[in-house]
Amino acid sequence: MGTDEYAIIGKNIPRIDGLIKATGMAKYVSDIKLPGMLHGKILRSPLAHAKILNIDTTMVESMPGIKAVVTAKDTFNRTFAINMRLANNLLLQNEKVRYVGDQVAAVAAVDEESALEALSLIKVDYEELPAVFDPFQAMEPGAPKIHREENNIAWYISRAFGDIEKGFDESDIILEDEFHSPPVAHCCLEPRGCVASVDISGRLTVWATTQTPHPLREELSDVLGIPMAKVRVIQQLMGGGFGSRMGMDPIDGITCLLALKSGKPVRVVNSRDEEFLSSRIRYPMWIWLKTGIKRSGRLHASHVRIITDNGAYHMEGDTVTGSAMSKFGELYVIPNVNMEAKLVYTNNVYGGAFRGYGSPQIFFAVESQMDKIAETLNMDPAEIRLLNAVKPNSITASGVQIGSCGIRDCIHRVMELSSWKEKRSQKSGPQSSVRRGIGMASMIHVGAGAKSFWGENCNYSAATVKLNSDGTADVFTGSAELGQGSNTVLAMIAAEELGLKIEDINITNGDTLITPSCRGAWGSRQTFTAGLAVKLACQDAKRQLFEVASALLEANPTDLVAQGRIVFVKKNPSKSIPFAKAISESYFNMGSPIIGKGINDDPWSTRRDPKTGYGSYASAFAFATQVAEVEVDMETGSVTVLNMYCAHDVGKAINPLLVECQIEGGVLSMGIGYGLTEKLIIEKGEVKNRNFSDYKLQTMADICNIKTVIVETIDSRGPFGAKGVGEPAMIPTAAAIANAIHNAIGVWIHDLPMNPEKVLRAIKKAQDKQST
Amino acid sequence: MYKKLIKLQVNSEKMECTVRNNITLLDLLRDVLDLTGTKKGCDTGECGACTVILDGKAVNACLILAVDADGSEVQTIEGVRKMSLHPLQISFIERGAIQCGFCTPGMIMSAKALLDRNPNPTSEEIKTALAGNLCRCGAYNKILYSIKCLTSK
Repeated sequence: MGTDEYAIIGKNIPRIDGLIKATGMAKYVSDIKLPGMLHGKILRSPLAHAKILNIDTTMVESMPGIKAVVTAKDTFNRTFAINMRLANNLLLQNEKVRYVGDQVAAVAAVDEESALEALSLIKVDYEELPAVFDPFQAMEPGAPKIHREENNIAWYISRAFGDIEKGFDESDIILEDEFHSPPVAHCCLEPRGCVASVDISGRLTVWATTQTPHPLREELSDVLGIPMAKVRVIQQLMGGGFGSRMGMDPIDGITCLLALKSGKPVRVVNSRDEEFLSSRIRYPMWIWLKTGIKRSGRLHASHVRIITDNGAYHMEGDTVTGSAMSKFGELYVIPNVNMEAKLVYTNNVYGGAFRGYGSPQIFFAVESQMDKIAETLNMDPAEIRLLNAVKPNSITASGVQIGSCGIRDCIHRVMELSSWKEKRSQKSGPQSSVRRGIGMASMIHVGAGAKSFWGENCNYSAATVKLNSDGTADVFTGSAELGQGSNTVLAMIAAEELGLKIEDINITNGDTLITPSCRGAWGSRQTFTAGLAVKLACQDAKRQLFEVASALLEANPTDLVAQGRIVFVKKNPSKSIPFAKAISESYFNMGSPIIGKGINDDPWSTRRDPKTGYGSYASAFAFATQVAEVEVDMETGSVTVLNMYCAHDVGKAINPLLVECQIEGGVLSMGIGYGLTEKLIIEKGEVKNRNFSDYKLQTMADICNIKTVIVETIDSRGPFGAKGVGEPAMIPTAAAIANAIHNAIGVWIHDLPMNPEKVLRAIKKAQDKQST
Repeated sequence: MYKKLIKLQVNSEKMECTVRNNITLLDLLRDVLDLTGTKKGCDTGECGACTVILDGKAVNACLILAVDADGSEVQTIEGVRKMSLHPLQISFIERGAIQCGFCTPGMIMSAKALLDRNPNPTSEEIKTALAGNLCRCGAYNKILYSIKCLTSK
């Protein structure tokens, strides 16, 4: 298996920030204390839809201990969003509030208690407006208009490849199903927060819980009207991201406003209640799949229709929806594909990026229907997938280039891991009150980011490296470390490329003053895009070093190798010089420091054609198949996941331990939670279950057994063959559970979460149907 | 605002503080004593990020009033490493039990409280002891494994 192929790549190196996290030394935003720091709090709207007639802050302005109050009047009223063409959110609302939790004003005070008291003394005159909380009602004529769009339709898209009418005509079987995915919260254990401080030169320094430090710098500069050169964003260690911290959050800009107005450092941190109330969520979707199949089992025609509840403000609902709707035809070969989607404003809390970015929603639908197709044709679920899955080095009907593709390997290996054939043939007795089932689900997702945002061609990552005269290296990357382990992986790549040990690498990320730009952590991209940038930077530094070393070793630079902290002639290893000595030679005898630069501008993918949607928008795709084994209690409807088996194609596991951590982590909390227990209960636009007792997360007591297997397809483009895994980890889990439930009790549940109430209702419905 | 002088031991160090009667032990640790290793995830006793060991028992520091800790011994994550790392810390670091790290101090304190009174818990006992510590990164399996490796069962 080539275990000695690399010195460090492929090894289970403990993460490099483990020590500070295990000892309490790690500092998160809420741990930051600066001299004279004030505490800020945000006044949020109690109404779902209302005009702001007046905001009276006079009582607060003269309160002792209150050092700044800000409203929209203190801003330039510039909108922001990840996708600017539809942007309509403001840091602080000026005309209207559009959801319960919307930002209206903010104060900075000597302590949090004073800030909260001040909020209660700000008088806001609202004129309440009729509100709408359901996208179907929002689209009806006469529905309350939330922004300027007719029928509250923020965005509409329609795409067609092949000939859908002919496709359905030629199909032997047509299935139509409807699915629903609810609003779900990220529940990062660290509530979001921000610290901002203006220094004596007028430069703003912002410590942010952000996944996108460099884009955040751009956004803050724009929204605050401050030149980028005067804005420094530092990505602080973060207690989870999962997409919630992609792009500016109002809390970032508001903290800056308070710091600018008070002239003092300000820290604003959400309470858990605020997190649930106002944070961006997973976009709820209604999905209709009409699918035509040939009797052979080949998928022949697909019509995908999606309605997405955007919520009150635009963030990236168009790209999430667009990403979701194309996935069916990207995982499976389907010659005739029609897709259409509408993104609809409502007065609910609005959506944003959330691990999977539309894929958990669409694959819950697609993979459930695939099992239904299998059952209709009396085929094994694995068989139908193997028959239809895309192949490596192929192009889909919509122009997506599939490069490395291990889906078949994933299916075979997970079947083996889970003893699939044996367990599928077992059936719980018809009288037993606890029934077992096993089900599988696959997925495709980007593994290298995508060209979907900010401009025509924007998925770059850049890195620099300084070689130090003692043989160590400083690596600078604009990427974000959310806890997924990107810094460790990037340090490993640098160490491998430079021929050093991991402890020789000092990696700095996410500080916009020091690091070169990277678009940040989303789209499971950083191992691939930032990894390539770091690799390129190290290759550049090595080139410079070899110029120097070649003179010392009297060899050609192209004949040199750096390994084990030594530079030597490949064909004559005894001709060598310690890495440190070669660098010192450069610094002290040639008078030249060694600085490497690497820019990975993703030369392979392109934005989809704006008219046709044709195009390969990502450089690499990750694949996975997961199998769930469940037990369903017929009397309570309770579903227990007994075992999860996961096979993931990650190209190359730079650090197999960290890959396993991602997969297990994605399954055990978010994947299973999304499938069985998580849902934001929103009534009249207000999130009601705003705590961990009422919003059910998986705990240590709930965990099942989990086994993973890593499939390595060695992608031709990724660093050492690697692709991403962060999002894939939780994408197919809910569908695998749904299919396992069906295997256990013969009912289809097409509405998440599959809680006991729904399971019982489905059982009863099936029993009633049987008895008639 | 009523204030009280309290005397307590924090990580083997004797301390005297004058505290307001309405602040929590969590706020005392983080804001007054600058021990920010203990985290605030919810402030309502539902996530376990603020777990400390109070008189030998794992508790949510956000549910204890600082004045109620008068006369008590408190262990926080900062006090776990003595001259060298505690075996729990080494195990967590080496076995992949840490991702974003926000739940880690609470997890370690809950695990330590368990192992201090029962050095050989079963998997079920470990799961029960840590059931009040949420981890959104989902590192549960690795956390369980990290603790199990330190037992002889």
